[in-house]
Amino acid sequence: MLRELTLILVFGTISGGILSLLALGFTLIYGVSRILNLAHGSLYMIGAYMLYVFTSIFVPIFTSFLGSSFPNLDLVAAIFAALAAIGFTGGVGAILYIATIHPIIGDEIATMVSTVTSALIIQQIILIIFGSTFYPASIPIQGSSLILGVTVGNKALVALSASLILFGFVALFVNKSKIGKAMKALSQDREAAMLMGVNTTKLFLLAMAISAMLAATAGILEVTALTGTAAAWMWLHPLASSFAIVILGGLGSIKGSLIGSFIIAYSETVVKILVGGAITPVVPLVVMMVILLIRSKGLFGKRVEMED
Amino acid sequence: MHVLEVENLTKRFGGLTAVNNVSFFVDEGERVGIIGPNGAGKTTLFNMISGFIKPDSGKVIFRGEDITKLPPYEIVNKGIARTFQVVRPFRHLPVIANVMVALKSPRGCRKIEWLKTMERKAADLLEDVGLSELMLEPAENVGHGDLKRLEVARALATEPDLLMLDEPFGGLNPIETEFLTKSLLRMHLDEPTRSIIIVEHKLYALMKIVDRVIVLHQGEKIAEGKPEEIVKNKKVIEVYTGGVI
Amino acid sequence: MIKSYITRGFSSFVAYVFDVPSRLLAFLCLLLLLLLPLVIKGYTAHPYYLRILTGANILAIFAASWDLLVGRTGQISLGHALFYGVGAYTSLILATRYNLPPWVTIPFALLLGVLVALLIGLPCTRVKGPYLALVTMTFPLIMYTIVRSSLPKIFHGELGIRLPFKKALFPFLHIIQQRTAEYYLSLAILFISAVILYKVASSKTGIVFISILDDEVSSKACGINVTKYKLLSFAISGLFGTLAGCLQGYLIRIASPPMFLLTVSFIPIVVTYFGGMGTIYGPIVGTYVYAMLDNFFFDVYFPQLLKWGGIEASTVLGYLELLVFSLIVLIIVLKWPRGIARLVTDKLEDLAEARDLDERGPRIWKRYKTKGQ
Repeated sequence: MLRELTLILVFGTISGGILSLLALGFTLIYGVSRILNLAHGSLYMIGAYMLYVFTSIFVPIFTSFLGSSFPNLDLVAAIFAALAAIGFTGGVGAILYIATIHPIIGDEIATMVSTVTSALIIQQIILIIFGSTFYPASIPIQGSSLILGVTVGNKALVALSASLILFGFVALFVNKSKIGKAMKALSQDREAAMLMGVNTTKLFLLAMAISAMLAATAGILEVTALTGTAAAWMWLHPLASSFAIVILGGLGSIKGSLIGSFIIAYSETVVKILVGGAITPVVPLVVMMVILLIRSKGLFGKRVEMED
Repeated sequence: MHVLEVENLTKRFGGLTAVNNVSFFVDEGERVGIIGPNGAGKTTLFNMISGFIKPDSGKVIFRGEDITKLPPYEIVNKGIARTFQVVRPFRHLPVIANVMVALKSPRGCRKIEWLKTMERKAADLLEDVGLSELMLEPAENVGHGDLKRLEVARALATEPDLLMLDEPFGGLNPIETEFLTKSLLRMHLDEPTRSIIIVEHKLYALMKIVDRVIVLHQGEKIAEGKPEEIVKNKKVIEVYTGGVI
Repeated sequence: MIKSYITRGFSSFVAYVFDVPSRLLAFLCLLLLLLLPLVIKGYTAHPYYLRILTGANILAIFAASWDLLVGRTGQISLGHALFYGVGAYTSLILATRYNLPPWVTIPFALLLGVLVALLIGLPCTRVKGPYLALVTMTFPLIMYTIVRSSLPKIFHGELGIRLPFKKALFPFLHIIQQRTAEYYLSLAILFISAVILYKVASSKTGIVFISILDDEVSSKACGINVTKYKLLSFAISGLFGTLAGCLQGYLIRIASPPMFLLTVSFIPIVVTYFGGMGTIYGPIVGTYVYAMLDNFFFDVYFPQLLKWGGIEASTVLGYLELLVFSLIVLIIVLKWPRGIARLVTDKLEDLAEARDLDERGPRIWKRYKTKGQ
């Protein structure tokens, strides 16, 4: 029993940290522009695949420049690859916005359809280029540590720390920086913000890029710490989890996505460890529904008394 | 028995107290105006009476019944109808259908005279406010002044005992203002038992219509009385001119 | 004497159809659909294609029912697949396990569908917009997991339930005749469903639905019990969605877990976008466009196009197909957010308006003159 509990605690926390980045990205783009980006999971997937691609590109380049006896060559190459993948995905996010969201902005249903269609297109492109086999993708961090009696790979610990630090950084950026405050203004009252001279399109684009980069980071950390492989269907589960987290935490709430991620992560881990895999996809959804019944805008969502 | 009794209504939004311990009553057939600078809490008061916002404390009693906690649609069916400061038409529906929605409510249905169809009643209501020509026009194509009149027609569809108008003259040009003033005066003659509460900034139009005026400032009632008395009230003048005069 | 009734009935029918251009168009489309199996013998009279057309009819009912809920009442539902699966599974379970005839299983399934609609309506009426969309997604996903991994004796897990030939609706016919009969049956039910849904949408209740779509707060201020009407919309939409599922069970003869997946829920969305939100007939048109694209274009012409271009690889072909299809959908959504069927009806409306403008012109001018003073 104790062993199960510590397993849940440790792996739930790791999972929660990574999920929080994913959820933050989703809630950010929604909060700023009211877009439900159904291609969010696809950006997560692109991050993971691009890690593989850039690693394959950088390892030979680094080897020829630095010599194969350079210490931790794989690790260095992989880190650069990760950064490249994140940047690449940010670009993809921006293109996605310009091509498929900006033309129909304002029409909620249309943006949902266009983003999900984009997700399908991305899935097919990945299938055409990579096929349906699994690809190994990971940042090779060696070694493991003993946490609370459980052996945990160092990869996972690094992933956890990285995600929490990055989360904090982005949250700080949104709350303190000028651009971040403009984003907050947009999320609270778009018209007023526009009257103040805020360039909505640029901000939407930026929010989209940041959101994409967060998703990619989550993807990279996830494959590094937990799964180790990339597959063309890996965008569905993260998408469902993003929904569940962001809904129960309240759409547009940063605090909510953090707490929501851990709620979902722990619930999923509990079910996975105690009951077994088949039912786990349902867990985030059931938890989300229960919370929605109590608070119809999520735990920290905007609570308006008279709707506008 | 007063038609409407508002007892100690209070509403806070975070740190801001929008309405602070406001009480007043309205009798049958009375026409009451509520005035006050922007932010005085007038619309919040309206929202509480019509059920769209629940007060933190206090009661709203309509014809002897405590309606404080009732949902808005039930309050409408009891006999209170309201308009909105910023017009809220049903954009995709033609003007006549906008009125028909109100007629489809339980009270609206009840109030349709025997042998009249809903469409006929809606057409009549539109004629009363002067919108007959725009009957079939989709509401999204209709201009602001006409939409304001549509709001009134919609509110009148349920034949309320208490009609609450939130800035009905807002954005109307002098001709439209004149027309609406005449309509409201005529309505008072036709339906003497109907009480009206009007929130308004255009004092010259308001003073012609109402019997009594209540003045709100920063959520509190600071004066109440006949229109002639209110315009001379020192406190009211101070509040409106910022103490300059 | 009977003859005079018939001729009078016929002439009033003709007058009704020719009155409004869009009615004429609808009538012509119906005629086309009725004659389809007979007209192109050897091509559409082929059992494979008949089955595709039957499938299109079923999906058209499914999409039209979704449109009432979403396009008319504004309740964004991403989980309509729930009703499809409930309809298919309920009717087939009752037919195979309990050997009940279709005139018992189908009404029972419909009743269950309405109950399910009201049940999910309870949380759904409390939430709005994106929350609603995402909540509606959860129910079919839960059902998916349940039918896939629990009670295998009843649900048969991954494989689902098949309806044996002898329990089908037209069991003793030759296959072409059977498929033809199925096509006409589904077409008849589509016609009836479409008429009912359209009538509801155009009724006074339909007006209230639109008021909820446009401005819920304003609707409440008119004395409308918005929750009640939302539940009504859910119930009607669920009823016809379940009907589509039942037809799937009896005419395509299978009920399986993927019927609860998001892909099924997305079909009415995409198809309604093709056709035009909120119109009821739009999704039906859109379904046919989708069926044509999906089956005829891709299975027949696209591989031939590729052969010309010298591309052979068949797995890539499979991936490419969905890719191109999605691209087409994307382009349509971006360029015509109001839907393709709207292009036609808007044109028709312009024509009708032009005809009326002669009498409306002076009226509009008079209105502007008096406002100007």
